[in-house]
Amino acid sequence: MILNKFLQYFVICLTLFSCQKKPSGEYGLDPSDTLRIAFGAEPPTLDWNKSSDTTSSSVIDNLMDGLVVFEYLDNKINLGAGLATNWEGSQKNTVWKFQIRKNVQWEDGQPFEPSQVIDGWQRLLDPKTASPYAYFLFGIQGAEDYNSGKIKDFSKVGVKLKGHELQVKLNNSMYFPYALTHTSTYPVRKDLIAKYGEDKWMQAGNFVGLGAYSLKRWDHDKVIILKANPKYYGTAPKTPNILGYIITDVNTQLNMFNAGQIDVLDSVPSVQLRELKKRSDFVEYGILSSYYFGFNTQIEPTNNPLVRRAIAHAIDRTKVTRMMAGGQKPMSGWIPEGILAHDPEAGLKFDPVKAKDLLKQAGYDESNPLPPIQLSFNTNQDHKRIIENVQSQIKKNLGVEIQVQNNEWKVYLGNLKAKPTQIYRMGWVADYPDPHNFYELMTSKSENNYTGWKSPKFDKAVVQAVSAPTDEQRLKYYKEASKLLLEEGVSVIPMFSGVAHKLIHPSVISYPMNPMSQRRLKNVSLQR
Amino acid sequence: MMKSNSLWQDSWVRLQKNKGAMFSMYFIILVSVLALFAGVLSPYPFDEIFDGKEFLSPNSKFWFGTDSLGRDLFSRTLYGARMSMAVGIITALISMVIGTVYGSISGWFGGRIDSIMMRFVDTLIAIPSLVLLILVKVFFDSFQLFESLEARALTGMVVALSMVGWVTLARVVRGQVLQVKELTYVEAARALGFKPAHILRKYIIPNILGPIIVLLTFQIPSNILSESFLSFIGLGLQPPYSSWGVLANDGWKAMQTYPHLIFPPGVAIFLTLLAFNLFGDGLRDALDPKMKT
Amino acid sequence: MKIEKYIPLLLLGLIVWAIGLDLFGYIIPSVLFYAIGLTFVCGLGVFIYKNSLLKYTMKRIGEAFFVIFLIMTATFLLLRTIPGGPFDEEKALPPEIKANIEKKYNLDQPLLTQYALYIGQVVRGDMGESFKYVGRSVTDIIKEALPPSLLLGFYALILAFLMGIPLGLFAAARHNTWIDNLCMGFAVSGIALPNFLVATLLVLFFSLKLQVLPAALWVTPWHYILPVIALGIRPAAFIARLTRSSVLDVIQSDYIRTAKAKGLSARKVLWKHVLKNSLLPVLTFSGPLAAGIMSGSFVIEFIFAIPGLGPHLISSVSNRDYPLILGLTLLYSIMLIFANLIVDLLYTFFDPRIKLS
Repeated sequence: MILNKFLQYFVICLTLFSCQKKPSGEYGLDPSDTLRIAFGAEPPTLDWNKSSDTTSSSVIDNLMDGLVVFEYLDNKINLGAGLATNWEGSQKNTVWKFQIRKNVQWEDGQPFEPSQVIDGWQRLLDPKTASPYAYFLFGIQGAEDYNSGKIKDFSKVGVKLKGHELQVKLNNSMYFPYALTHTSTYPVRKDLIAKYGEDKWMQAGNFVGLGAYSLKRWDHDKVIILKANPKYYGTAPKTPNILGYIITDVNTQLNMFNAGQIDVLDSVPSVQLRELKKRSDFVEYGILSSYYFGFNTQIEPTNNPLVRRAIAHAIDRTKVTRMMAGGQKPMSGWIPEGILAHDPEAGLKFDPVKAKDLLKQAGYDESNPLPPIQLSFNTNQDHKRIIENVQSQIKKNLGVEIQVQNNEWKVYLGNLKAKPTQIYRMGWVADYPDPHNFYELMTSKSENNYTGWKSPKFDKAVVQAVSAPTDEQRLKYYKEASKLLLEEGVSVIPMFSGVAHKLIHPSVISYPMNPMSQRRLKNVSLQR
Repeated sequence: MMKSNSLWQDSWVRLQKNKGAMFSMYFIILVSVLALFAGVLSPYPFDEIFDGKEFLSPNSKFWFGTDSLGRDLFSRTLYGARMSMAVGIITALISMVIGTVYGSISGWFGGRIDSIMMRFVDTLIAIPSLVLLILVKVFFDSFQLFESLEARALTGMVVALSMVGWVTLARVVRGQVLQVKELTYVEAARALGFKPAHILRKYIIPNILGPIIVLLTFQIPSNILSESFLSFIGLGLQPPYSSWGVLANDGWKAMQTYPHLIFPPGVAIFLTLLAFNLFGDGLRDALDPKMKT
Repeated sequence: MKIEKYIPLLLLGLIVWAIGLDLFGYIIPSVLFYAIGLTFVCGLGVFIYKNSLLKYTMKRIGEAFFVIFLIMTATFLLLRTIPGGPFDEEKALPPEIKANIEKKYNLDQPLLTQYALYIGQVVRGDMGESFKYVGRSVTDIIKEALPPSLLLGFYALILAFLMGIPLGLFAAARHNTWIDNLCMGFAVSGIALPNFLVATLLVLFFSLKLQVLPAALWVTPWHYILPVIALGIRPAAFIARLTRSSVLDVIQSDYIRTAKAKGLSARKVLWKHVLKNSLLPVLTFSGPLAAGIMSGSFVIEFIFAIPGLGPHLISSVSNRDYPLILGLTLLYSIMLIFANLIVDLLYTFFDPRIKLS
């Protein structure tokens, strides 16, 4: 009897389990019209108001458009029309007007309304959203207060809508459209967020965008699949399907590329650059990022500007970049190439004789040698190579012993805030292609300035540069700022600007390569 | 004393008959000597950078080739032996001391003390060792306890591995103590009113030394292995010091184009682990042919 | 009809069904996972009841709760003493934004309050929401990542048994011959090989040089081969050694000699008596082994980009994703404790001399 019951139970079980076929490795997509790429991480979220990382933005950028988009022509970065067709600044760039595009549809057929832009901004700034990138809009009057809860009424924030014209009032002059290229400022659909909930509306199936692609599938930690969006207002994407595997390790990505499982490798194992460079499918190009060392100017002996200058003069940047073999450009100035105010002559150059001389002036010589200096960095193979190279250079050129200290990333950040070592390493990737984004870092109230170096003159020059009406005047102020930061203060030593390395299969045409590392894939075509 | 002496001698005779174990023992001694005298034996300082000589294949000047910075891989492998063996041996010793003391106390007193002490051990064993390893290592690496850089590089790793390692030893020692405690001459010593510490030292420790030594020889390779695992996920020693694990990790990162980088540390790890395991097996058979793992 | 005879059959059936689905390219429905778990627990319950181990089991479970509570507390405290917080990033955030975020995740409360809140949540069965992956609950993450890890571990375990036991038996049967030496040479080598070395060599040879197997991913049985081998070799070597030594032990024991003396054929002795008795240590070992495989698979999952728990374990620590770390620690601890309990219980079945109190 019992046996019978069990058999029944078993049969019922078998029939109950509706068997779903597992997707194949290619997810049923035809390789001939599918671009296969790898994402280096699982995107933490596709909620563009909340995301703050590059993986998420590289997905969102294909699913959504901002008011303004970057266009890359002849190595120049321009602003192109996105959801805004036109814009202009007035009153010394403190007031901006945007003409919002008409006849745009979301993928579910709903019309795009200008008010959805304001909805997005309000959500971004809402303290309850707790968005890390809310500060992108802090230039707007009242935005910062709204975010910190000082004002509760959003109508007091300096944004206004008149039909299809959006008016933005700023605290200071700035080139505001840059901020609108960033995913965090994209418009949102409040109705969808209300319908699916704060945490679920960006999942595949619920997600509704208006970009070139729509989100077909998002299997966490496995794969993201995009399909061309037929309702897109721009030109239709040339490749109908994007298959993005989520592969954390670069070496694994390289293995997959070599085995033909993916078409593009967006970053390569850096120690292998020397050999990978010889391949015909290898490409490299400069990006807007900088690698620098900072001094703790509050503790012995790096509180002495002479010591800081001596060390700055003792490093030959070309040796580091040659060792890295990745095409990085040595940079003595603060601004990487490709941005206004880039100046190859700025800053302190390699000069071992002068370095020794300066150290002597500071009161250190053979009889009274400089005590060992601590240099910290976050644990990483590339940093390790760079720092060990610099360590041996300073020892050779200056006779100064550098003790390196590495920490796990978050420990490192915690230490930087609490008690930075005499020298630390850091980097910056441009949020937008403007010198302000870099100079702001080292102002007195910047959270990213761990040096303890504060200069009211520098702060003033940076502010003046923003409100200067012409590029010429801006350059004048930036030159002054650069001198204060790099030659008088010497609180930082810029090292080099970054480079992106990719392997691209020959069948992939016009894969995006731009200094902002944006990955909008709509122009990619395949020749298989 | 005479009796125990001859016991050790017997074991030694038995061990000598085991060719594999003897060969392994000599190999371990060789590696230890190389590790100790790495400074004298290595042709170049382990952190000397030869400009423009990165990623050389093995040649007459650089026997194992050079690494991504242009450092001699042979010298680095020798120094790596030093750090790996240091991690393996120091950790095993620390685990042994803690484990033996803890296990003997627990086993000797028994009763409530035993059950409380073992409950603590159970807790530690139930924490996934990887989580414990990562957390403890990150924690101890976050501050500098020692002046010496070499010691500093080792601290986090050694503390983390010891914390995971002593637990097994404590369990085994406790079991052994429980057994030995019941032996007639130990009971006699207790009846005669000897102090526990005395009995422990005189009767019990010598009796359980065999199993402890055997466990120790197995702990060392497992520590070396754990170290290489941690290095593989980027939680290795502080540079410029490198262990075999760090070198293997460097090698894996360049595997597709410079396979020669992974072989010296890989082969070194393999042979050393092999030697320790064979030696441990031999030692176990020699010390107590009836003992089980 | 005895009910306990059919539960193992049912369990076996369900497992075979699940494996079949997986190997023939179907998704294993979560109902099936639950059914397997439920059947297993039922079987265990019946087993415990029939062998009157109820009291013992209840005691052990009570202890387990206490141990788990201790582990959670220790991990919670250890996490908070490690420098660096979940929202420290390369681009430092303005203080007011940080304040908003900390408020959202209760990080502005005193530590004790946070602890109480967390424990309260866990008691209610909610492990919280990941800090890193916005809107994904820890339970969801585990639900998604557990199946690949379980499958990888299970296949590796199967491989280990399929390779290890015959190898050990073979070596023991030909004790002190070159076959024995060869088998044991393989076993010792297997133990001395870190699995990341095996994995890299396998990928280099089979996917990059010969191009016959995929270099990464976890989709079809073809994708399974390399990671399962890389993960299974070391346990296989352990099992081979264990089997051999325990078979030798049993062969030399008195009752086997008696059996032989009674005139039973050598083959019958080997199969009937030796095998049954010598598999006990192997069985005991399989509990810790399974746990070891589960937590040791992280490197393999990392190298082969398998979306399992291992990568989460590593990245959650480096992201300081407190709820996720705690959730994973909880999961692993429970699995470990459970595995040990089961092994202890099964012990009594195979070796009636043991009495559990």
